[in-house]
Amino acid sequence: MTNQPNSGQLPASFRDPSGFLFSHSGVLYRQVNHAYEREYARLLESGLYEKLVKAGLLIPHVELDPSSAESEAAFKVIQPERVAFISYPYEWSFSQLKDAALATLSIQRRALKLGMSLKDASAYNIQFVRGKATLIDTLSFEIYNEGQPWVAYRQFCQHFLAPLALMALKDVRLNQLLRVYIDGVPLDLASELLPAKTRLNFGLLTHIHLHAGAQKKYSGQEVKSRSGKMSKQAMLGLIDNLEATIKKLSWTPQGTEWGNYYDITNYSEAAFEHKKELVREWANRVKPSLTWDLGANNGVFSRVVSETGSYVVSFDVDPAAIEQNYQKMKSGKTGNLLPLLLDLTNPSPSIGWANLERESFGARGPADMVLALAVIHHLAISNNVPLPQLADFFAQTGRWLVIEFVPKQDSQVKKLLASREDIFPNYTKQGFESAFKEKFIVHAAVNVRESERALYLMQAK
Amino acid sequence: MHFAPLPYLDPGSGSFLIQLLIAALLGVAVAVRASWGKIKSWFGIKPKADEDDDESAE
Repeated sequence: MTNQPNSGQLPASFRDPSGFLFSHSGVLYRQVNHAYEREYARLLESGLYEKLVKAGLLIPHVELDPSSAESEAAFKVIQPERVAFISYPYEWSFSQLKDAALATLSIQRRALKLGMSLKDASAYNIQFVRGKATLIDTLSFEIYNEGQPWVAYRQFCQHFLAPLALMALKDVRLNQLLRVYIDGVPLDLASELLPAKTRLNFGLLTHIHLHAGAQKKYSGQEVKSRSGKMSKQAMLGLIDNLEATIKKLSWTPQGTEWGNYYDITNYSEAAFEHKKELVREWANRVKPSLTWDLGANNGVFSRVVSETGSYVVSFDVDPAAIEQNYQKMKSGKTGNLLPLLLDLTNPSPSIGWANLERESFGARGPADMVLALAVIHHLAISNNVPLPQLADFFAQTGRWLVIEFVPKQDSQVKKLLASREDIFPNYTKQGFESAFKEKFIVHAAVNVRESERALYLMQAK
Repeated sequence: MHFAPLPYLDPGSGSFLIQLLIAALLGVAVAVRASWGKIKSWFGIKPKADEDDDESAE
């Protein structure tokens, strides 16, 4: 018998001996190893699987013929429902991370009731499926023996509690620490960065500050009392307290750059409506299954596309815009829209072991259609990217492109140039068209009503 | 103790000990709440619905 992976095994799926993900002809499967036979059986027989799937907390799967397995260690092969777009915690808004944390605790509580427990609490095991934070790792459960503590406690604090506390109580941008620390924010760092007053909060005092102290004190020591007992009641108390601590954390966007962008825009109502009309018409024509809206703000145009049936990932650099977009998505129950944080001038890199565990922004593409509305001047002027390089980038990112050209006469561009030298002689409509025609076939070009701007529908060559 | 096989992720010695300590405290709180619920039920006050059985719980 061997646990050795074959060629189809996904590079991010190596840590857990219970099984792994592999792909065949673009379809994703999960091999369940013999080592996990008992746990898998318990998950299904106890009714936990059904309960969690019904609540939208666990990804549903179908069992396949085990002869399709990747290695001899296989006990079963399952095919989980495909997740439309894989996202990572450093791309989530505050409330997205909070909902992922609360989903994890809710799963743990339900599991305990049915004699199981989560053996890991990684934020990377949660994805947004139909708009809801959902556990995608079916093999995350172990059989619970009363007395046993929660093995994933440290991981939960690092992946969820520490970044949420930092975002809520220090600075929302500290979620970017997750991009550096793949196993969550080190608790000693969180403890150092959090304001002193957080020591007055019982949950933060114990789960972060004292926890960090205990880690330091006992680091590298073998703890004999590892066999120390923890009653089920104590375990439930711990889960309840983590939940209450997290529920109390909140972040309200204010005073940010783009939060009220649409209220201060130079657009007339007619221009705005015309833009919507064109985007809707072109989305219906292209019929993309996956659309990326780059520079989506709070997602007005993402919604126009999602209404045509496409799954839309709505990227923006502003945490406030993403937060607003997510709240709107939740209240509108738009399951096919995913707001994510992304700095286009420095998009998510590939990180982790061998740089293969978490995919870069580009590796998760190309999308069927890309929207780049009111964004080109930020890339070409604020970030000095030459137009031919922008054309290259967009041609790699999507098969179809809906792009808006914002000329120098536009008040938004004037603002960008107000305090600096105009070193962009080629930034003209003609310069834009000739650069993009190198990489794209232009299917439509329309001047936006009552504005200086133009919208294009292009197909990558 | 008959614990499950050793975890595949290291729970960390310090994390393990502090967890036992915190959980011991919080377990008492759960017990108190449970008996308080019982006392209230003698007076006909119904306990809050268990939100984990609510399918829309998040």
